[in-house]
Parts: sequence; structure tokens; C-alpha cells
Amino acid sequence: MTDPLETLAQGVAERVLDLIVHALDVNALVQRVDVNALVGRVDVNALMRQVDVNALLDQVDVSALLGRADVNALLDRVDVGALLSRVDVNDLMRRVDMDTLVEQTDLGAVIAKSSGGAATEALDAARGQAVGLDQFIDRWAQRVLRRKHPAPPGPPALLNGQAE
Amino acid sequence: MSAGTHADRSVTAQGHYAGSVSRFLAYAIDITASSAVFGLALAAISYVAKVVTGHEVSWNKGNAIVAAVFVAWEFLYFGYSWAASGRTFGMAVLGIRVVMADGTPVDPRRGVLRAIVFPLSFLLCGLGFLGILVQRERRALHDLIAGTAVVYAWDARAARLRFLARETEPVTSRPD
Repeated sequence: MTDPLETLAQGVAERVLDLIVHALDVNALVQRVDVNALVGRVDVNALMRQVDVNALLDQVDVSALLGRADVNALLDRVDVGALLSRVDVNDLMRRVDMDTLVEQTDLGAVIAKSSGGAATEALDAARGQAVGLDQFIDRWAQRVLRRKHPAPPGPPALLNGQAE
Repeated sequence: MSAGTHADRSVTAQGHYAGSVSRFLAYAIDITASSAVFGLALAAISYVAKVVTGHEVSWNKGNAIVAAVFVAWEFLYFGYSWAASGRTFGMAVLGIRVVMADGTPVDPRRGVLRAIVFPLSFLLCGLGFLGILVQRERRALHDLIAGTAVVYAWDARAARLRFLARETEPVTSRPD
């Protein structure tokens, strides 16, 4: 059996606490709390270490999540023009190994059909031969002149790709 | 040397100073083409003169007027080509172009000046052309005076692709 006096004391204590809580201005109390200082004391890293992200992700139904997403609405909000303007297409193209691309795809046949021709082939060959002879003669000229420092290969603007 | 090797070399030579062989071949084509056009024009004029006057008109190389007109025509041919596009017909065939010394497109006035001083390279026993071999930027005398240079300007990358395309083209698509 419980002591009636103890029961009475417990009831009084609960009543007093109720009265105190009702009397407190919680908003004023919260305003006096320095939240930044409170957050600053929290070790977020330690907190995150305790979180099992994999277990958390396992519980997420990504398919259901994606099913709820309106991709079209999302794409409508993307400014593709601004996105593309940030892409350096020239740099992108420079990274493409065209030789491998032509060798491994049917692109070669397409190019050959669209730009081929005996005249073009002859012109390419003649130009290539002329460049070869130019470089052969230039190498000999350099040897005869015994140049210590190599001559610039071309005008600065063309070497930097600024001019045509 | 295979065509592929040449194509590789040409791609890396893009924008570089053009050498003596390319420039000489371009000049040879230009002289042949311009002389042929002049000869045809002269023949046409002679025919018209004969029809109109009823007398046989004969031109020869010793005729001072014909020589003067020929010089003027050559100046017009080279001067206009260099001023308008930086390249003559022969240069277009060989894929080379006249640019300013810094590589920017040639100024039309410099193109005309180049045509004016071009004969100087001949008049000094051809020594003016020696610069193409010995000068660091392969510039002849007329280039140095006009502030110009000659560079490779053909699309060697496209040529390389065409070469690769021909190499990889299926055998079945080639005629027997």
C-alpha cells in the first residue's frame, strides 16, 4: 500500500510543476537562448559518424522517390543555354581522338562518301608531299646554318589559335 | 613515305611558316595560270581587232605595250588576290596563305604593297627569295618589306580524316 502522505506530496508536487510550466513564457525563454553557441557546441562529425548512411539509404525507395519527381517540370527549370555556354566545346573536341573514332566506327565511310573524290585525294597528297619536302629542305637549311636556337614554327597568333 | 605519314605531318604543320617548295609550286601555278589567262585574252582581243579592222593583228613579246599590259595584269592578279583573301589561285591549290607577320589576316594595303615590292626579290638576282630558306620566319625580302609572312592554311585535319576514311572504307564499296 502506498503511503497516503507520499501520494499527497506527489500530487502537490505535480500541481506545483503544472502551475510553474503554465506561468513560464516559453517564447521569452527561447529568445534568451543563444542557438548559435548551442549549435557550436555540437560535434556534427561525431554525430554523423554514428549515423549508418547505408542503412539509411537502404530504407529509401529510390524508385518511388523518382516516381514522385516531375522530371519534365525539373527540366523546364534548367536553362540549357546557360549550361551550354559554360561548356568549352573546343576543348571538348580537342579531347576527342578522331583517328580512333574514324577507325572504330562507320564515320570513315560517311566521310569518304561525302568528301571523297579523285581531285580531293590528289590535292591532299600533293599538299602533303609539298609539306614533306618543305620540312626536308628546312632541316638541311638548319643544319647548314648551325642554328643553336630553333626558329619559331609559326606566327604567335596562329600558334595560339587566335587567328585563322 | 606513305600518304599517311604526310597527312600526320601536315596536321602538325598547320599555322606554321610555309616552306620553299610549297611557295615555289604555288608561284609556278600562278604564273602559268595568269599567263594562260593573259594569252587567251590577248588572242580574243586580236580576233576582235581583226574582225573589226579587217587587218591581221600580231602581238609579240617585244611589243612594249603588250609587255606593260602584262606587267600590269600580273600586278593586278597578285595584288588583288593578296589584298582580297591573302591567297592566289596557286596558293589556294597548295594550301598556303599570306598573313601579317603576327599571324592575323593580311591587311589589304599590305597585300597591295607586297605585290608592288614582289619584283624586288627577283631584281636582286633572286637573292630576295633566299630569306625563305635562311630567315628564321621563312620570310622573303618582299615579306619583310610588307610586314607579311606565308603560312600553311589548309584544313589538314580534314585531309587526315579523309585519308583515314579511305583507309577504313569497306573493300566491298570500292569498284573493281
